[in-house]
Amino acid sequence: MTTGDVHRAPLATLVIGLGNPLRGDDGVGVRAIELLAALTLPPDVEVTDGGTQGLGIVNLMEGRRRVIVVDAADVGKPPGHFSRFALHETHLLDDSGLCADDSGLNTRGKTNLSIHAAGLREALLLAHALKMLPENVIIFGVQPNSLEWETGLSPAVEEGLPDLVAAMLAEVRDSVQQHGAPSAKS
Amino acid sequence: MTNVNVNVHHLTRVEGHGNIVVDVKNGDLVKCEWQVVEAPRFFEAMVRGRPYYEASHITSRICGICATGHATASLRATENALGVEVSEQTELLRKLVFHGEIIDSHVLHVYMLVAPDFFGVGSVLPLASSHPEVVKRALRIKKLSGDLCAMVSGRHTHPIAMAVGGFTHFPTINELLAMKERLIAAREDLDETMALLATLPWPDFERETEYVSLKKDDEYAFIDGVVATTDGFTYDLPDYRKVTNEYMVPHSTAKRAKHNRESYMVGALARFNNNYDQLHPRAKAAAEALGMKPIVTNSFLNSGAQAIEMVHCVEDSIRIIDELVDRGIKEEPLYEFQGKGGEGVGSCDVPRGILFHNYVIDDEGIIQGANCIIPTNQNCANMEADMRALVPQILDRPQEEITLMMEMLIRAYDPCISCSTHFLDVEFV
Repeated sequence: MTTGDVHRAPLATLVIGLGNPLRGDDGVGVRAIELLAALTLPPDVEVTDGGTQGLGIVNLMEGRRRVIVVDAADVGKPPGHFSRFALHETHLLDDSGLCADDSGLNTRGKTNLSIHAAGLREALLLAHALKMLPENVIIFGVQPNSLEWETGLSPAVEEGLPDLVAAMLAEVRDSVQQHGAPSAKS
Repeated sequence: MTNVNVNVHHLTRVEGHGNIVVDVKNGDLVKCEWQVVEAPRFFEAMVRGRPYYEASHITSRICGICATGHATASLRATENALGVEVSEQTELLRKLVFHGEIIDSHVLHVYMLVAPDFFGVGSVLPLASSHPEVVKRALRIKKLSGDLCAMVSGRHTHPIAMAVGGFTHFPTINELLAMKERLIAAREDLDETMALLATLPWPDFERETEYVSLKKDDEYAFIDGVVATTDGFTYDLPDYRKVTNEYMVPHSTAKRAKHNRESYMVGALARFNNNYDQLHPRAKAAAEALGMKPIVTNSFLNSGAQAIEMVHCVEDSIRIIDELVDRGIKEEPLYEFQGKGGEGVGSCDVPRGILFHNYVIDDEGIIQGANCIIPTNQNCANMEADMRALVPQILDRPQEEITLMMEMLIRAYDPCISCSTHFLDVEFV
């Protein structure tokens, strides 16, 4: 899973795994994209390890039509379970911030997603302010069990990986069906 | 009489969380602290018991910004412990990717974290609306440096291709030549950056201290060399503890460092003060435009020194690429363990200052002991000494302005608290 030639135009769809593998289940995003990258993917899909970088995510998103993010997040579910959100379904671009409640939903039906790597929200806000946000931003938030300094995922999160990766695979294949092959239109 | 009470919890626009506490009663400074709470040092525990070849990959994950810096210091420690010689090509490629990380980190700090103060806005987000061309320029430079790192080390975030004794991935000549063109084109953005910095009202503040950095005879040092200070001391790397002299203070559990004085400073300004002569002529011209000539004793100008280093790194990257293209890229074999362990120290001058890794490796190739001293911890005492010097000079100003000045002072150091604390989620009452 390398970035390939860094000078070529970006592929239409980017899948970013975020998080720190030294922080237990915070590494689930990075592990998920490692598994995804080993599968046969549509030719316009690039998969990358975003680690714990913050605003650099804006550069990775630039010129894409669809960005799919996977990260540990408080989605109000049991550990290892995940939720899929379109960006407009979350409060990530609102001023109200990221407060999670028990249900994971607030009264307006939007999700109070609490993402561990807060750099993602700053990057999305900056891309939004510069009108550089991709048309589609999808977030897979995976409920962590432990964010302690340790390597390896907890058993519940490990067990949830096959379902997560299957859903992400369906998502990237779906993106091709919905949006067709990459074109000059951005 | 004057009473001032500054209490900044979770200083924003720094990496991680830290507090500023200033208390002035009847014109007397009774409390002036830079507080960082450090969790137990997980770093050493994470590499102990692991094979030598994993250390650089583990430690590169400590920090999302200084991944290459940690990886390089880690590799140099391991190589010095095991007696591994690296090729000239490896040295060139490491310098090239290191330059990429210096530019990447500095452009983030100068534009996204420091510039909003001078534009009078709270963060880079309103700046993106009011001055989109400024933020877009920053993102262009950041993309270039990120691509430079990815071209050499195989990935945008973590340098997976960097290994003990060499690389597992090599850029092609065409990639190098295309990158050279982009670096040359970036000169315009760098010129604009220096022009912008020259217009900013840098606070008027001088306090002399000891400046500590790596030093080499033949180049502006980022990797290897000796430890040098502006007080005239030099040490070989294995003697790094004679410089750092770590100690604790009650109000902050991050370890601190001192050498010849009560504190010392590391980072871009320290490198600039120690190694000015080896800067590229274009970087010297940039320094002149900012009115900077060593020894600069205004800590706020650490951000200026960062911009000067960006110019230097772009120019030196062009030089390195020329050399690599002339030599041709060879796929070199990696080191194979020889069944003999040892102890080694590796040091790099990463974006925020001098970094030390120190490993003890046994004859099975397993790491039995490790020490890591990061730049922000070394700067903590100097930040506080600056605060104590600055507060009395600005006591006549409104409290909001005093608070902002203290925040700007701390931010100038580009502190990476997430790294110094080894923990992000520190809560204060």
